[in-house]
Amino acid sequence: MPGPESLVWVAAVTIVIWLGLFVYCLALDRRVRRLEDGQ
Amino acid sequence: MTKTLLRKFLPWLLCAWLILVTLGAFFYAPSAQGFKGESARIVFFHVPQAWVAVLAFCVNLVASLRYLRKRDALDDARAAAAARLGLVFSVLATVTGSLFANVMWNSFWNWDPREVSIVILLLIYAAYFALREAVPDEERRATLSAAYAVLAFVTMPFLIFVVPRIYWSLHPDTIIGATGKLKLEMESRMLQVLFGSLAGFTGLFIWLYTLDVRLSRVRLSRREREEV
Repeated sequence: MPGPESLVWVAAVTIVIWLGLFVYCLALDRRVRRLEDGQ
Repeated sequence: MTKTLLRKFLPWLLCAWLILVTLGAFFYAPSAQGFKGESARIVFFHVPQAWVAVLAFCVNLVASLRYLRKRDALDDARAAAAARLGLVFSVLATVTGSLFANVMWNSFWNWDPREVSIVILLLIYAAYFALREAVPDEERRATLSAAYAVLAFVTMPFLIFVVPRIYWSLHPDTIIGATGKLKLEMESRMLQVLFGSLAGFTGLFIWLYTLDVRLSRVRLSRREREEV
């Protein structure tokens, strides 16, 4: 049975995954906007 | 001006919301009874992933029907974007379900009706992309894949809502019961986090879908200019 400290680890990994996904999507968003502006 | 601000502001709001939901899932919602350890907390991610997959396949159907009616290449791009996201979220729902199965029943795969039906659905939508890759002519590809998407969607309610309820299943009771009624017998804090997560994942789907469609729109108008 996982203790409270392992829950902290799972939460931390999940948040890191979210942040990674958001940084990637924000970069993509910026790139798409630049392409749209260039038209 | 407001639109630009919203466009800039909304992704950050979504990011903050999903981090809040994650913290709520692990530290605000209480442990569920009748499950091994903290395994039930996966519900806050698994259910929204499955919901987004169903939503994406619905969007795929609507865009495909629109393409068959109007023959607009952007509708084809919309259908493909939705199917892509539906496939990704189905894989995520399968993986999280499998992780839960391993904790609860000591095996990642149990040939449970729900496990099998989602994999069949995955294969049906994977074939949608195989079909798209196999047809070089764009108009023909769009027409064939739109027709295929309509047929694929017919199987979706059967595989997701009917099959798992016909056979005995290891899967915990779903939120929508066999009678089609909502069963919300969860602790209120768990419900708050679950609905927060459903809203967050829906927002994430809308953002990713819009990004994909915007990119396709740029690609299409660029090609139109080149042709002129």
